[in-house]
Amino acid sequence: MRIMRSPAKVEIAITGKCNLRCLYCAHFTSPGDVPEDLSTSEWLAFFEELGRNAVLRVTLEGGEPFMRPDLPELIEGIVKNRMRFEILSNGTLITEELAAFLAGTRRCDFVQVSIDGSQPETHDTCRGRGNFARAVRGLETLKRHGVAVTVRVTINRSNVEDLPEVTRFLLEDLGLPRFSTNSADYLGVCRAQADKLRLSVAERSRAMALLWELQKKYPGRLTAQSGPLFEVQDWLKITQARREGWEPEQGRGYLAGCGGVFSKLAVRADGVMTPCIHLSHIELGRVNRDGLAEVWQHHPELTRLRERRRIPLSDFASCRDCEYLRYCSGGCPAIAYTHTGWEDKPDLDGCLRRFMEQGGHLPHVRAQV
Amino acid sequence: MRKETQLATTDKPMANPLIMLREEFDDWAILFDPDTGHAFGINPTGVFVWKRLDGRHTIQDIFSELQQSCEDVPGEAHHHIQAFVDSLLRNGLAGYEYQL
Repeated sequence: MRIMRSPAKVEIAITGKCNLRCLYCAHFTSPGDVPEDLSTSEWLAFFEELGRNAVLRVTLEGGEPFMRPDLPELIEGIVKNRMRFEILSNGTLITEELAAFLAGTRRCDFVQVSIDGSQPETHDTCRGRGNFARAVRGLETLKRHGVAVTVRVTINRSNVEDLPEVTRFLLEDLGLPRFSTNSADYLGVCRAQADKLRLSVAERSRAMALLWELQKKYPGRLTAQSGPLFEVQDWLKITQARREGWEPEQGRGYLAGCGGVFSKLAVRADGVMTPCIHLSHIELGRVNRDGLAEVWQHHPELTRLRERRRIPLSDFASCRDCEYLRYCSGGCPAIAYTHTGWEDKPDLDGCLRRFMEQGGHLPHVRAQV
Repeated sequence: MRKETQLATTDKPMANPLIMLREEFDDWAILFDPDTGHAFGINPTGVFVWKRLDGRHTIQDIFSELQQSCEDVPGEAHHHIQAFVDSLLRNGLAGYEYQL
């Protein structure tokens, strides 16, 4: 199996602290929820190692990255080591000074701000009172300074019917070129009240129908790598491929749903390297103690996750007689882990057959499935 | 009247120190400009040339080293190296030092 000499990108939980307590936060109560952050000097030393290993980009996330008062100093370390960066934020702590600083670096690919509704009532239900106004203000401050911005809408039980309005608000009122969606997943604190937050099968079907129409109305401006929009796009392709008897794409029929371990590595706020920010229980080593290249190229846990894509779905009783088996890629290993304790199993939340058996339906194709 | 000073350049190109060389599979590589986010793919010979753009090698020096390192280097490789370096210059990935 060929792998790159070093990851092209590193996702860094630059702090475990956050000023909000969003109800479906994937971070808190996860193994990435660590008590101590790495110090400024330790992060700066690690950025030098990233530069020496020709890492191109870092994602700063958390926690809330703007909680760190030394964030500008850390970003200067990234810039000094010839990398670009992006920031995932709740948007509430962005000031004029920080926005001007980010613009001045010329290395910021984007700041992603979480906005879950078109109005305070929707957004603040899960993210806390007053935070819609703060997030929108942060977004507008970034835009005013010329920093590239994007928005992530986390779809949950309280905002499904607001999807047309939040789309109009983001694309027309705020004038964003595009935004992305995901959904409240079985990760972090969401697990404790999953029934109240995660979409039911009926709500998931409704979200898919709404998003399917919205992406036709705004072509290319709604994107997703998980959640109902991703699923409806993927599952409609699967149902069509099966109906037409097409040959499956490479990797389908195996646990190949995640390619992240071939290009990216993650680091927890305490400096422990992990395969993914959502697989923070798998400890690969510690920054500034264990070499990045050695961990990346030779750690047996990374090798195991890379070889996951050689495991045929037919190995699993839940998949064996599935009519979509040849076209399925097994979903997200992190979700599989939180449900079963194993990464090397299919993610049943992302299972089309299960969704249909539970009464779910896809736009326009119910009759054929 | 202000006196114009003409600065002469050397004939020994230098890589832009801001550009990152990221070596990938099979000795292929990309040159990454972090200020623009643009990436340029280069083949193993390009990597060989890039690593000698240190302000101490002329194009002829690099060509000679390539002949010593590899078998059957065709004569036109000199022109290919020159064209490669010219494209690096056009894209701001390399330059010539000024002689004061």
